[in-house]
Amino acid sequence: MPTAERIAFVCPRFAEGATVGGAETLLKALARQAVTTGHRVTFLTTCAQNHFTWDNELPPGPRRVGNLDVIFFPVDANRDTQAFLRVQDAISRRSSFTEAEVQSWLKNSVNSSALCAYLQEHSDEFDWIVMGPYLFGLVYFASRLAPAKTLLVPCLHDEGFAYTRSFREMFRNVAGCLFNSEPERALARRLYDLPESCGAVVGMGLDPFEALPDTFARDHGITTPYVIYAGRREDGKGTPLLLDYLTLFLRRTGKNLKLVMAGTGELRPPAELQPHLLDVGFLSEAEKHAAMAGAVAFCHPSINESFGIVILESWLAGTPVLVHARCLVNREHCLKSNGGLWFRIYPEFEEALLTLLQQESLRRSMGAAGRAYVLREYGWSAINRKFNDALRQFAGRRI
Amino acid sequence: MTEPLFKIGAAEVDVECLMAEIRAAVEHKQERGVYRDVALAQAERTNLANLQDDETFLRYYLDCLRNAVFIDINDFEIRERRRLGAGMLVGLKKAIWKMLKFYTYRLWSQQNQVNGLLVTALEGLDEKYRNRLRDLERRLAALEEEKAKSCRPPNA
Repeated sequence: MPTAERIAFVCPRFAEGATVGGAETLLKALARQAVTTGHRVTFLTTCAQNHFTWDNELPPGPRRVGNLDVIFFPVDANRDTQAFLRVQDAISRRSSFTEAEVQSWLKNSVNSSALCAYLQEHSDEFDWIVMGPYLFGLVYFASRLAPAKTLLVPCLHDEGFAYTRSFREMFRNVAGCLFNSEPERALARRLYDLPESCGAVVGMGLDPFEALPDTFARDHGITTPYVIYAGRREDGKGTPLLLDYLTLFLRRTGKNLKLVMAGTGELRPPAELQPHLLDVGFLSEAEKHAAMAGAVAFCHPSINESFGIVILESWLAGTPVLVHARCLVNREHCLKSNGGLWFRIYPEFEEALLTLLQQESLRRSMGAAGRAYVLREYGWSAINRKFNDALRQFAGRRI
Repeated sequence: MTEPLFKIGAAEVDVECLMAEIRAAVEHKQERGVYRDVALAQAERTNLANLQDDETFLRYYLDCLRNAVFIDINDFEIRERRRLGAGMLVGLKKAIWKMLKFYTYRLWSQQNQVNGLLVTALEGLDEKYRNRLRDLERRLAALEEEKAKSCRPPNA
């Protein structure tokens, strides 16, 4: 069966420079790999870089970025942010809201009429339109333009938004979904009564790297062991919980341990934690990998992850991870790899971190087990095969 | 301060076993009251939303609070940030504090009573619904077994 020739990728932001985000990184990586495996790819995105302001910072129009043809479109300026936030709060708390309010929330979410107009006009030129993540007005409205050739990379989480009728319809109308993990697919099937054939688990490949464990500590004058978090710093990612837990851990155990926080977003650490906190902000990939390599553990307190790129990177750096037990995706990675521990409540966090802190041989074994798991399961050759198999599977269903 | 109760030396790691040991260690320490601390309840504030459907979380959270609901009104130091006349200002504050004791002590003891009663009430509710759920589940299991027996063909 022939594979698709031309694929459009749609993502609200293009991962470049300081524009970080799991879904953005994933879609860009899939698009780049699709080019290398012979597909003709166009990447459609917005001019926004900052996921808080959504200001149009990049110039609109087509641009060649690496091996990708990228077209940047402006974000609509007519957003009613207040109305958006009001409904968002109600949906995320799963309190009462109407479907009309959900529609108004989607309209006031990040949208780009210019991008949708382009897609409408050019959809015949593409065999597949791959888009994600699900939680944006832009993706919701774009998915309705050519649903028969739309494949969703949802990055779905068990959160209030996922339970709305609008998203249920979106998942049921598109040609298929490319999930990042089995727990994500199981969640989608449970929420939207989807058949087994509704989607394939693809994920993202990671290129192996070598990082020296001492470089980061030396460059930043760190003389004590440290744990690290890298990614968006916000409530949804659980960073306030990590700050509270680490503060309590230091107070209760008296250990001399630092917390390195990399990534973007505001941090509000308790005063007591400040002397033990190193906020390094945005790091380049090489710096991030070096920082991970020297850490006692990578702590990921988020319960909403559909793939967990950073924990896979941490394993490639040879460092074990400590994740929240409620995040089924991260916990499954830990179970399959034997490269990480998990916590549900503070006492488990304390016990697990003490175990890692005090047993270097255990840390090394877990880091090595994690690295072996990533090399085995998330090499690009395996992911490319899964991606192309998924396209063939969906093409077969369409005929 | 707490120390892990076990050591892992093997090159091959089984994180499921390791987590079982960690949970057993936590349970053991919980029984000894190691985590009965209001600071734990404070640190768990943001975890409440994550674990609202977790049956055991409320019991653990209330346990953290149990010994912390009674506030010691004298457990603070009267200080003055301004350097100029700090000694005099601290003395003045102490005098005002002593003068208002007849009122603040009354508020404090009432608040302590309310805190204690609220935690007791929550513990009572938690226990009541936990028992009720257990009874209902037992009853359901018995009914299912009875139904299965009655549906079984006579020669099976």
